[in-house]
Amino acid sequence: MHASLVVSGLRKVYEGSGRRVEAVRDLTFTVDAGELVCLVGPSGCGKTTLLKCMGGLLTPTSGEVLVGGRRVSGPPPGMAFVFQEYGRSLFPWMRVGANVELPLKQKDLSKARRRELVADALESVGLADAAGAYPWQLSGGMQQRVAIARALAYEPEVLLMDEPFAAVDAQTRADLEDLVRRLWRQRGITILFVTHDIDEAVYLGERVLILSASPTVVQEQLKVDLPQERDQLRTRVAPRFAELRTHVYEQIQAAKRGEPS
Amino acid sequence: MKQKQPRGGGPSGRAVNAALGAAGLAAFLALGEVVPRLGIVKERYFPPTSRIARALGDEITDGTFWTDLGDTLTGWALGLVIAVGAGIVAGVVISVVPYLREATASTIEFLRPIPSVALIPLAVLLYGTELRSVLLLVVYASFWQVLVQVMYGVRDVDPVAEETARSYGLGTWARVRHVLWPTALPYVMTGVRLAAAVALILTVTAELVIGAPGLGARIAVAQTSQAVPEMYALIVVTGLLGLLINVGARSVERHALAWHQSVRGEVAV
Repeated sequence: MHASLVVSGLRKVYEGSGRRVEAVRDLTFTVDAGELVCLVGPSGCGKTTLLKCMGGLLTPTSGEVLVGGRRVSGPPPGMAFVFQEYGRSLFPWMRVGANVELPLKQKDLSKARRRELVADALESVGLADAAGAYPWQLSGGMQQRVAIARALAYEPEVLLMDEPFAAVDAQTRADLEDLVRRLWRQRGITILFVTHDIDEAVYLGERVLILSASPTVVQEQLKVDLPQERDQLRTRVAPRFAELRTHVYEQIQAAKRGEPS
Repeated sequence: MKQKQPRGGGPSGRAVNAALGAAGLAAFLALGEVVPRLGIVKERYFPPTSRIARALGDEITDGTFWTDLGDTLTGWALGLVIAVGAGIVAGVVISVVPYLREATASTIEFLRPIPSVALIPLAVLLYGTELRSVLLLVVYASFWQVLVQVMYGVRDVDPVAEETARSYGLGTWARVRHVLWPTALPYVMTGVRLAAAVALILTVTAELVIGAPGLGARIAVAQTSQAVPEMYALIVVTGLLGLLINVGARSVERHALAWHQSVRGEVAV
């Protein structure tokens, strides 16, 4: 299986007004095509810096990011982003349908094809009827579904999700987690899911990457050997789930204290 | 998706407000009738309401009044269109091009407070009593209103919205069109509304002082020929124009910004 996303020797140092902050020291990892990987780490561990470097929004000090084999120097065409702040990431002046369609207008697609992609994406997040509504007329969970639909319609090779469910309530969150699992299995996209929630990381991921405290390195990579079929009730009480989450928890505590794994 | 009741307590509250407003206006007009008739002020300088109303009736049946009104509206509209167009283009360019804002800030802060009327001698020197004289003053005064609002608006772009647009590969022009412009639009609307009011003030001022044809010049003529009720009637017309312009601008604003928080109100989900 070839790697969809390669991060090698990534380092980012912020320089400004006599202060020099090394946010990311040396990050190397790969995400295979069609894999769902969760990234967890202690708070302030440089996740945002890493994501911005991967998304081509920030230039790393050294090292490189490859998406689909191509080196990232600006926002890569094969990558879609889902942000935590759905309320600010969706445009309130556009209806839901137009929000989902906007990124497609940058691609060379016919109008009919764009419509098809928008309808299909909204359908698969369960919002087929919401195309004519404004985002602010929807609940928080529905707004994040719209943001997910926008990413799906873009047909990305890699989907980056930056703590997407940190701002929704617990029940909605469980629904959205299952939605991500389902979409991942149906569409076979590569997903890198960043979260600070250990349970969420173990529940969702096929693999969990644990980051150290800043300056960031990869603390540990953990394979999640839970069955493919997961559900909120049974998976979360399985003994193996408890072992894995305990392990991740300990690693993060160790990372906070600055101990190597 | 229920809409919360707007301030003022809904339709019945609005009717009460309208009734109170009408009563206040009627009282004001009645006062204007009674005070001169009782001899508290001289009728010669302050004619009663009914006398002004009759003069207004005479004015609107006079063809030259409509020509003058047309001249005033032409000066106002042309000046406003030029100022809004130039203000928007300049505001966006200054904000988007790196370092341009810093380079122009001090010059703008120097030029902006210059009262437009201080340019009257210059306008007369350049263009005499032509329309272009009026336009110079109107554009100078209204341009800053728009420019400053556009620059505030552009600064209000949400970094998350901007990053979203960049991450989906929207180029500079697409980001200006789909992110920057809609964000700045509420500010632009405010700027246009302020500019529309300022433009009317400057149009009438220019006509009054320079003598360019229009309602202002007509007021000056009425004054010098001792036609006091006619002078008041024309002042009332300029007031009504200002009112119409403001009401019009507000309704355009409500229409264009239906999505904006200030218009849509709180939405209960």
